Amino acid sequence: MSQTAAPRFRIGIDTGGTFTDIVSVDAATGAMAVTKVSSTPSNPAIGLVRGVNDILARADAGPADVAGLAHGTTVATNALLQGGIESLGLIVTSGFRHLLEIARQSVPDGYGNSYFWVKPERLVPLQFVREVGGRFDFKGNELRPLDETMVREAARFYRKHKVQAIGICLMHSYANDSHERRVAEIVAEEYPEATLSLSCVVLPEYREYERAVTTLVDAFVKPYLDRYLKRVHDELGPLQSVPFLVMQSSGGVASSEQILRKPITTALSGPAAGALGSAVIADVAGFPDLVTLDAGGTSTDFCLIENAKPQLTNGGSVGQFPVRIPMIDISTIGIGGGSIAWISREGHLKVGPRSAGAVPGPMCYPNGGNEPAITDANLVLGRLPPALIGGGIALDVARARAGIAALASTLPGNMTAQQLALGIIEIANWAQANAIRQMTIQRGIDPRTFALLSFGGAGPVQSPAVMDLLGMKACIVPPNPGNLSAFGLLAVDWRTDHMVTKVMHEDAIDLADIAQRYAALEKEAVANLERDGIPASQIRLVREADLRYAGQSMEVRVTAPAGPTDAGFLAGLTGAFHAAHRKTFGYDYAGQQKIELVNLCVSGFGVIDRPQMPKLTAGDGKFAPKGTRPVYFDSGFVDTPLYDRATLPPGAKIVGPAVIEEFGSTTMIFPKQYVEVDPHGILVIRPEWSKEAM
Amino acid sequence: MNQHSRHPWPTAPARDVVHVDPIVLQIVEGTLNSIEAEIEYAIERTARSPMIREAHDYRVGLFDRYCRKLTGRSYSAMPNAVVRDFPPETMKAGDVFLMNDTYLTEGSIGHLPDLCSTVPVFHEGIVVAYIQAFGHHDDVGGKVPGSMPGTAATVFEEGMAIPPVKIYSEGVKNDAVFTIIKRNTRVPEMLSADLDSEVQACLMGARRMQGLFERFGKDQVEACFQAILDKCRDIYRNELLSKIADGEYAWEDYVEHDGLTDPKLHKIAIKMTKKAGKIVLDFNGTDPQSTGPINWPTDYADGAFLIKWIAPILRNLADTPERAAEIHVNEGVCDVFEIVFPPKGTLITPEWPAATNARSFVLLRSLGLLAGVVAKAVDGRMPADQETIRYTGFYGNDADGKPFLSREVLGGGSGGRYYADGNDAIHIVPDSRNQPAEFTETRFPVMVEKLALSTDSGGAGLRRGGQGYEKHYRALVDCRTIVTADRVRLGCYGLKGGKAGEPFCVTVDAEGEARKLGGLVDGAEVKKGQVVQVVTTGGGGWGDPLTRELSLVLRDVIEGRVSIAAAGRDYGVVFTAASTADEPAIDEAATAAKRAALAKARPSDLPMIDRGEGYEKMLRGEFRPRM
Repeated sequence: MSQTAAPRFRIGIDTGGTFTDIVSVDAATGAMAVTKVSSTPSNPAIGLVRGVNDILARADAGPADVAGLAHGTTVATNALLQGGIESLGLIVTSGFRHLLEIARQSVPDGYGNSYFWVKPERLVPLQFVREVGGRFDFKGNELRPLDETMVREAARFYRKHKVQAIGICLMHSYANDSHERRVAEIVAEEYPEATLSLSCVVLPEYREYERAVTTLVDAFVKPYLDRYLKRVHDELGPLQSVPFLVMQSSGGVASSEQILRKPITTALSGPAAGALGSAVIADVAGFPDLVTLDAGGTSTDFCLIENAKPQLTNGGSVGQFPVRIPMIDISTIGIGGGSIAWISREGHLKVGPRSAGAVPGPMCYPNGGNEPAITDANLVLGRLPPALIGGGIALDVARARAGIAALASTLPGNMTAQQLALGIIEIANWAQANAIRQMTIQRGIDPRTFALLSFGGAGPVQSPAVMDLLGMKACIVPPNPGNLSAFGLLAVDWRTDHMVTKVMHEDAIDLADIAQRYAALEKEAVANLERDGIPASQIRLVREADLRYAGQSMEVRVTAPAGPTDAGFLAGLTGAFHAAHRKTFGYDYAGQQKIELVNLCVSGFGVIDRPQMPKLTAGDGKFAPKGTRPVYFDSGFVDTPLYDRATLPPGAKIVGPAVIEEFGSTTMIFPKQYVEVDPHGILVIRPEWSKEAM
Repeated sequence: MNQHSRHPWPTAPARDVVHVDPIVLQIVEGTLNSIEAEIEYAIERTARSPMIREAHDYRVGLFDRYCRKLTGRSYSAMPNAVVRDFPPETMKAGDVFLMNDTYLTEGSIGHLPDLCSTVPVFHEGIVVAYIQAFGHHDDVGGKVPGSMPGTAATVFEEGMAIPPVKIYSEGVKNDAVFTIIKRNTRVPEMLSADLDSEVQACLMGARRMQGLFERFGKDQVEACFQAILDKCRDIYRNELLSKIADGEYAWEDYVEHDGLTDPKLHKIAIKMTKKAGKIVLDFNGTDPQSTGPINWPTDYADGAFLIKWIAPILRNLADTPERAAEIHVNEGVCDVFEIVFPPKGTLITPEWPAATNARSFVLLRSLGLLAGVVAKAVDGRMPADQETIRYTGFYGNDADGKPFLSREVLGGGSGGRYYADGNDAIHIVPDSRNQPAEFTETRFPVMVEKLALSTDSGGAGLRRGGQGYEKHYRALVDCRTIVTADRVRLGCYGLKGGKAGEPFCVTVDAEGEARKLGGLVDGAEVKKGQVVQVVTTGGGGWGDPLTRELSLVLRDVIEGRVSIAAAGRDYGVVFTAASTADEPAIDEAATAAKRAALAKARPSDLPMIDRGEGYEKMLRGEFRPRM
């Protein structure tokens, strides 16, 4: 074990369903190392610690050398998507007991579905929703005092029924939190074992249904996160004293203590890390505007990066639950490497969303499934190497080919196995291209002005073709495309988000009130960061506000000017809103309609030193294919050169067709496309028509 | 005009088996669905009317060159009237057409606020497809703001009617049309911006569709279109129609007022004839057109709009609700249905200039009408009735003297199904949303005192009807309330022994003299401090309530969905004397005895359809006008 004075390794750990990815950076040298271990779903903490120890052992280092651990987890997401709902309670204002049952009265999807759709069970059965008297108006004026007797009765009722996690959501609590806080005190007196989530803490924003659900989701995931983070702490052993940070859905990290105060912030922890890693690549590669495509075994995630920043939304959801806290805006479709090609009831060929997953896996895997998957199609076409990650385990090409041929024989057109395989890939590519079109149109963006960033195990073998379908200007593939999420964890600032609803019409803006509210939010943010040990010099505060045109209900979030809240502040804020409205919706009402201020928000950042992405060493610039393999394209098999990615020097240029192989991923360069290796080893693939190519 | 066509638009040639590349088919089908979604997203992003942005009241359609609808997640308008007036050979790339005339759009537009844009798609110089979008715009003139006067007797009171006109010629805007339109609405800027949004979205969709033709060629794409239509037809024939025994089935349902005569039963009659692979729906026997605005002009284009509107109801015959959700209804379904219309002059064949703005009553009843007649044919394996659209609201001057108008669409309970209870408080329009109370109170001088489900509103049944809303608004200023609602006296029907749900009711001054209003109210007085109570319809029940599992009745009582009194009366369930509100307990022996007694006291054959007490009272003339 080395005996260095200062700890120098920062380690990112991204726990996925199949693998746990680990990336470490040596602060002294900038050197980066990656590894992968199998995940341990029954207790993910075990895989996590095993991975950390593994990467330390490779660097001949020990716990004393570790400066910090950053973790992306799907514990909250999985609890939400699969978890049996443990008993939850909800306390609401008298008259609103059916809030969850009514929701927003929406029936999802198509016309006419209201006849056969079955509303899913609510988060809290009606029996455990209790009303308490007391009421504020929207300005926070008390119209009726809190009925403390009803609160006590409710608390005793929950104790009797052993309902331990309780959400509290009273009308207009964003404007006046005193009743909710008093309810919490009383419940704590009557029932000290209860865990409480208060809507004025979790989401002090108007819209009672969304606020209640967000609060309940927080209460719901609390025990899961609590148990998980305790286990991690226990398993960490000698690493227990090292700062342990958890990724939040908003794209910032926070300490475990901070997370446990508001665990809902981890609802999309895992994917957020990938988006953050992508943002770093966007910056380094000189493609600040990107669509990311993260193709895994069963699904593909997309995220928009604009100006090297991932897009956030505060109108997101996880599964069926609206979760109105800031989170990276990610959309998902059910197409991945394991997606199965099958024949529908009507006799039509379908690809996905059914998936072979990791078990049994595609037909070509050892003990693989019995239906051909996208991976089988790529293998049959010669686009993937005939062996699993690193060459250890051979893949069964013949079995995959036979499976696809059998499927082809049930379809019209006398297709060969290769022709059908090509078709399966084509269907998947169009599905991904259509998903990208939908998400860019929602934001008024033309995908042709964006580049595609492809990662995940199943992305780069197809994405250059998706680039062509969309007419995008480039497709870039980062180094270690299977580990981008773990890498993202090392490029993340501390973050804490705070907000309050205060509706003010343009004609009735109280600047002193705004100043006071921002000051209070900033104080909360600083306190949170200082609690995590961030020195004042590294704290950065950003003010934002949600505004809308008076009378409408669509708010737009804009950055508010720093400095004093004077007339200049207001003019700056209003100007920013008109501009943002135009960008989002294509028009504005500047000079025609009054605005309304709705929410004030403050985000606090604890700025970290980002690891520099290491550059490749130049060498003599020479490189050569390691061999060739027949790869199938439209007109048949073509002998195609194979390159080992590790041997490609910066500045290397290759004209397709070519296959670039590395540990855990394969990149396909299609005929007439060009690829260039940038100084950091990022592959930049350009379409045939691009003037920038060659 | 195609000389072989019975219509002034081309008819697709009959063909034998369509040969289609299975891979291209998947790509074309997936891309059509994506184009539809992309156009919707573009409209949602840039439109301005609240009815479009918040109530999601707008629809997109993609059609082939024979005016056949290719996508099927939702209903839409139709391009037939445009093609009738502007033959495709005269169309040029960059042309855009607009229409909303309820009598000159071949049955595709039901009321004037729905302005519809149509864009032809060109490939190698000829029209190969059409892209269309319509939205429910906030105002197109007429005698009341919002262009939906409940007391209109003619279309002239309802606003501006536009037959198909060309609003862009080869990309050049026809400013004269826009000048006229803007002069005829109370919200000229909003309306013209909405139209821009819809036109631009359609043009974008047309470019995408053109891309498909360029990539795969006309023959291949058109073969895929045919296969997509055939798939829908075949699913209907093989999976849905096959569940209905051949034969004739008849039924009728009613709208109960028309804004000018209140109450009155306005009958819509249906006779369904099922024979090999085909369903004929004969609407003869439907009542004459109304003097009020509930008329629905449908007798055009062989009833293509009506068919596509009601056909989705048959999806309830699918093996599972999950399967039902997978079935998209496109023009292929028109091969399966045939409509026989009554002569001109009925509720569904009205003659110009009869008013149509409240045609949603007839339109919504037509769904329950088909569901009911099918239920008779399949021994009740259909959902019981639902009514989920009505408009309620307030207008007046707020405390500062500024005028305000709040309008809300509140849903209702859906009917019980053989596999599940009905849903509480839902809405039929996909993704439509109610108003949060915290939003209402910020914006309007009313306070929401209660946002709840109405106890006992869902019809009793083995599978109970879903509950309607019970919403209490306290007026903070003197103001007026408006209502446009059907099912005010007639409940949503119950099925196969299930009971009808409770009807809709608005009560003014609920804490005082409690005045009950009717269904079409243009401005009843409300005093400051009074509570207006809105109770919406419960869904009909399904199956015999005396056979409902005791555990479910107990849960309903614990959750307050069913009162102890109703549990006894409707379900024959007796609670022990020691029961409390929090912990009711069922007396099983007493329950068994009561259920037996109730069963004995009623006819042994339970009716397939129960219309509820309101219907009997209507027949006996016991209801007074509430207008």
